[in-house]
Amino acid sequence: MRNDGTVTLTVPAKAEFVDIIRLTLYGIAAKMKFSFEEIEDMKVAVSEACNNAVLHAYDHSQPGQLEVSFTVMGDDRLQIAVSDSGISFEQVSDRSTSTLHGKSIEEIQSGGLGLYLMQALMDEVEIRSNQGTRVILTKRRLAQETV
Amino acid sequence: MQNEKLTFQTENLDGLTVVRIAGELDLEVASQMRSVMEPLMELSDRKLILNLRDLKYIDSTGIGILISIVKARHSRNAPFGVEEVPSTIQKLFDMTGITPFLAASPNA
Repeated sequence: MRNDGTVTLTVPAKAEFVDIIRLTLYGIAAKMKFSFEEIEDMKVAVSEACNNAVLHAYDHSQPGQLEVSFTVMGDDRLQIAVSDSGISFEQVSDRSTSTLHGKSIEEIQSGGLGLYLMQALMDEVEIRSNQGTRVILTKRRLAQETV
Repeated sequence: MQNEKLTFQTENLDGLTVVRIAGELDLEVASQMRSVMEPLMELSDRKLILNLRDLKYIDSTGIGILISIVKARHSRNAPFGVEEVPSTIQKLFDMTGITPFLAASPNA
């Protein structure tokens, strides 16, 4: 699989559709010969982007859509863009990343972990907010023998 | 009724409750996980262990639930930990920094 092919999936912005996105990601990344570990990394990062959209983009009474496009770049890079047309990311949460390292039990909390994981697990993360939010995640496959 | 995406099997041993969690722990099943865990978190005279051998997926949603269990057990002075963590999940625990909070206290 190579040469800038794009697969786009549009699903309701609801939690029960995020695993469909993961399955699609698995199919494309496996075909590109990403390793098991690289695919697991991308599954978490892409889910975090989807979770943000599901939780924050839309009013619960009027759920919107989530568009996820997978673009194969060259033969070793996969770019995944997660877009919604709801409330922009910067309006609903600060963009801080945070981990639990060096904190006490009293101090630990889950805020910031999702964004941290996206950045730690992908090579590039870009967040654009305009009419809605677009999170663009890129991962390069580590060099390996091609058959 | 349990969503088959995530299943729980609870085993009560002497002074110890082990919950085996199998499947995918994501946003869709987060409320199911919370409602299963809440009554178990209250049992402060028992050690609580989550066996994660058959957990296939977790993200910050699930790690957030683990943080709330850590805090609830700590406030009751009750031991809590995880065991048989798959390597892909251990990697996420190490990256986020939750690992040291998931080791059951020895005075169980």
